[in-house]
Amino acid sequence: MKPRWAVFLLLIAAIVVLALLPMLVNNYWLRIATGALMWAGLACSWNMLGGYAGYINFGHSAFFGLGAYVTALLMGDRLAWPFFATLPAGIVVTALFAIIIGAPTLRLRGAYFAIATWAFAEVLIQFASVMDFTGGIGGIGLPPFLDERFFYFAMFGAAALTYLITWALFERSRFGLKVKALRDHEPAAEAIGINTSLVKLQTFVLSAVTASVFGAIFAYWVTFINPKSVFGGDITDQMVVMVLLGGLGSLWGPALGGVALFVVNRIIWMYWGDTAFYIAILGAAIVLVVLFLPNGIAGMFSRRVAKSGAVLDKAVGNLVGGGPGRPS
Amino acid sequence: MDLFLQTLLNGLLIGGVIATFTIGFQLAFGVLHVIDFAVGGWVVLGGYLGYYMGAGLGVDGFLAIPVAFMLFGAIGYLIGPILYNVRNSRTARPELMALALTFGLFTLLRGGMLTAWGFNTHSVPTVLSGESLAVGPLTVPLIRVAAAVFAIAIAGGLFLFLYRTRYGLAIRATAENRQNAALMGVNIRRLSATVYGLYAGITAMAGVLMGAIFSVNPEVGLRYTLFAFFVAVLAGLGSVGGALVAALLLGVIEAFVATYVGSSYSLLAIFGTLFLVLLVSPRGILRHGL
Repeated sequence: MKPRWAVFLLLIAAIVVLALLPMLVNNYWLRIATGALMWAGLACSWNMLGGYAGYINFGHSAFFGLGAYVTALLMGDRLAWPFFATLPAGIVVTALFAIIIGAPTLRLRGAYFAIATWAFAEVLIQFASVMDFTGGIGGIGLPPFLDERFFYFAMFGAAALTYLITWALFERSRFGLKVKALRDHEPAAEAIGINTSLVKLQTFVLSAVTASVFGAIFAYWVTFINPKSVFGGDITDQMVVMVLLGGLGSLWGPALGGVALFVVNRIIWMYWGDTAFYIAILGAAIVLVVLFLPNGIAGMFSRRVAKSGAVLDKAVGNLVGGGPGRPS
Repeated sequence: MDLFLQTLLNGLLIGGVIATFTIGFQLAFGVLHVIDFAVGGWVVLGGYLGYYMGAGLGVDGFLAIPVAFMLFGAIGYLIGPILYNVRNSRTARPELMALALTFGLFTLLRGGMLTAWGFNTHSVPTVLSGESLAVGPLTVPLIRVAAAVFAIAIAGGLFLFLYRTRYGLAIRATAENRQNAALMGVNIRRLSATVYGLYAGITAMAGVLMGAIFSVNPEVGLRYTLFAFFVAVLAGLGSVGGALVAALLLGVIEAFVATYVGSSYSLLAIFGTLFLVLLVSPRGILRHGL
């Protein structure tokens, strides 16, 4: 039981540090921490479908953007809803979209699914660019609210909730086993009586809804959005890289990858500004990870531990793999 | 009526050029079983080669076509084995890893080109640029005609290669059943490298043509990747004959939406059609073997 305690204490310590962070650092670093939490959460939300169910979604920014646009439109001058009232509205809208889009597209396998989701996200970005009520390419503004602590805690809460849901549903329940079973062999999973269509759709909706919540907070945080800034393919690119870097289908991988990549992003931004060079680095990172680190940081960690057979193996196994049958 | 005919003609001519690089794309999928996100990157690279040869060296854009084939063919030949290794590796999900690899390659190309050459658009200078021919009520830009002729020549050459040579036979056999082909003595790994090189070279040639007709900047690569996907989905992945029909159809759709609805809606229409086609017929409408 010792390693479990160690992990538990580590987790508590991390939560305490994160909760006290606003008192320890200035607003500049707080903004960076807020962004890092957002990306860690978004990566986790992508990982639900990509990592656990094995369906690569190249249009995940669609749901991030939907959440952002619903909040922006509802908080605008005409309706002027309070922020927290827009969250459930965004969740409902995104869930509806996810069901309508997911039900037919989830029948597609592998590359076809990737293309279909990518096409869907591009339809939304084009749609938001040509419509009047979304403000076209110019985008829309939200009432400014400049309390960095509020946004930090909002992102912190959303990220913590996302990881808690992922842990409870994908690592600690029958639902998670069903999802992993269909990832590993879909016909076999169907043969033992799993309603794969339903399970896939549930995962898809869950992953979409969590992304939309981050989108809503993001829109309120930056107070101005346009189609490219919330629907743009670069957002999906980043999520994919973060998950691949951290480790596909692991609980803590996306958090590691998300924070690591976001810090790199900020460092590049500090030295060179908003540069296209970052896109090249993203691409190179994907290529290198695929070639040399196909299991991500989490995979590297657990493999090394498995070799030495140390106590940490079980701890990491509990956290990362969650599988019972690991030989000790 | 004149506008209708003019639009139809423009669409068909562009469709011909789209057909060249989608045929290569289909061929690469048939042999390697990898969806190549980088297809738009090769198109743009070809366009830039044409631009730099024209603007920098003063060489006509058409002369860049063979250079593009050799240069990017060689690069593709070197990348092919890497892709093959990833696709056939022992990781849990090799097809997703290969998809991610080409996605990363595409992002790397796009970012690298944006860093090196910026966001400005350039066009490839040729002798025929700006010249046009009047046929009755229609005006036919000569550069488009020349591009379509080149496209037909490239596609024809590829079909001759595939159906009239022993190497083409090996490629077709591998696309049909790689295990049996390997048992018949085909070196799949080396063949994959050749096919990827062939595909990258053809795609870059089409890129020079595209750069001469429209213009080129690093961001348009995404558009060409979309075109290739659209054609692949409509024709069924790996189908070379279907790609020809689907590419012409795409050219016509795009021309009509741009003329009658507005060019800002053309991408919306293409993506929408793509999405609907996937829903109605998940494995392509014009399904045919190689």
